[in-house]
Amino acid sequence: MTSTYLYDSDQPRRPIATELTNLWAYRGLLKLLVTRDLTVRYKRSTLGVWWTLLNPLLTTTVLWIVFSQFFRFEMEGDVPYIAYLLSGILFITFFSQGVIATGSSIVNSASVLSKVYVPAEVFSMAASVAALVNFGISLIPLLVIQLITGVGIPWTVLLVPIPAFFMLLMVAGLGLLVASAAVYFYDVLDLTAVLTQLIGYLTPTFYPISFIPEKFLPLIYANPLYSYLTIFRGFIYEGAFAPTWTFVVMVGSSVVILLVGVWVFTKSWKNLVVVL
Amino acid sequence: MTVAVQAAGVSLAYRLTRDRAGTMKEFAINMVKRKVTREDFWAVRDVSFSLSPGEVLGVIGPNGAGKSTLMKMVARVLPPTEGRIVVRGVVAPMIELGAGFNQEMSAFDNIVLYGTLLGRTPSHMRDRVDAISEWAELTDFIDVPIRSYSSGMMARLGFAVATDIEPDVLVVDEVLSVGDTAFQEKSKARIRGLIDSGAAVLFVSHTMPTVKEMSDRVLWLDHGRMVMVGDPDEVVDAYARPA
Repeated sequence: MTSTYLYDSDQPRRPIATELTNLWAYRGLLKLLVTRDLTVRYKRSTLGVWWTLLNPLLTTTVLWIVFSQFFRFEMEGDVPYIAYLLSGILFITFFSQGVIATGSSIVNSASVLSKVYVPAEVFSMAASVAALVNFGISLIPLLVIQLITGVGIPWTVLLVPIPAFFMLLMVAGLGLLVASAAVYFYDVLDLTAVLTQLIGYLTPTFYPISFIPEKFLPLIYANPLYSYLTIFRGFIYEGAFAPTWTFVVMVGSSVVILLVGVWVFTKSWKNLVVVL
Repeated sequence: MTVAVQAAGVSLAYRLTRDRAGTMKEFAINMVKRKVTREDFWAVRDVSFSLSPGEVLGVIGPNGAGKSTLMKMVARVLPPTEGRIVVRGVVAPMIELGAGFNQEMSAFDNIVLYGTLLGRTPSHMRDRVDAISEWAELTDFIDVPIRSYSSGMMARLGFAVATDIEPDVLVVDEVLSVGDTAFQEKSKARIRGLIDSGAAVLFVSHTMPTVKEMSDRVLWLDHGRMVMVGDPDEVVDAYARPA
């Protein structure tokens, strides 16, 4: 048997290069894990994957009733509140669920990782990609609502993969950070759940930006997610490009976070399984 | 002849659970008190051996001697804290078979997933499903979710997937007691077949007759250290002798 496989425990581990090689070598597994994440979660429920759609739709319905009927939010321009709300909810759900799922991926796969050699980052990336696919599916009802409410679907919808891609990098980077820490401190997962929810409130998902008092605007702009969301909304229903600075924030923050996440993960990988 | 497995002065330290701060609050308090003690537990200490293709090394020792930890280091699951391990070729790890089975998925999907976890490709696994389920005598239950399987059925399925390749190195951790007597004989025959085709084998067992029968050499571990290594009869007899 001519095999070129060689395992040497002394082989140095280079950040990024090692992760990329691992992900490529295990791309088959990555695909299986994404499918498993998407289907198994709802396997025993009658509605199955439809829950992917129902979940944000129910949230949106309740928020829509509260804010548009009780509080009577008025939107500037001719975008109906429901499109504004749903687009915000979907995007923030992608962020928070992605970070939480990626963050708990290693702890949750402990039983496998402590018995079979699999690069742990494959499990983490599968969770991030599953969140992206979920997000993609959940865009369908948003587009339907845009058609019904007469907003229509602009050509820039074809550019939606751009903010989605950078959000994926952000989710993967933050998720790897959380995942590395969660192995040592389980609390990190609860903390992450709270923090992602809070940053969601600080992002204009359900309130219009015109509601923010002038002096608090810098706080909103300082939140990187505001940039992602503005770009996304621009592409999905406005048919417009968001200001250039938001693109700078989006690309910059996602690349920096991803590099930090990968670096921390590489530093701690050797201890991960031993601690598990 | 090249060496299949080479371990040089290998040690592994676990951090004991009681020393690991469970919550961040405890960690912070301990930090302030300067009490972050990192007391390590050395499960394996300074173990060296080498194994040639086709050679069988039996590993014996009492519970907690570090046998399973050593197996996991060879199987690449645990990186050694000190020392170096070099493994040439494809490793088939048979450590707690069926780790990674998903209860909700069918046996078919689990065969594909488990095989892929072991480093094979999904398309290769799909081609092998029929042969694997037939060997495990589970063809009739191939579309049933694993959660309705008995533990014996699950173990058979795990064994069938793990041995469905021609590995260069086979790591067997007490899994030869799978299923009923007939199936045990069938599994032993399959392992012998793999040895004959040139696989180097490391196996852990508490059944001394099996150890004597199958090994070329035996390694006796106690408290993570090597007590004795050499001829199966000599080592097993020394181990079995009351101290």
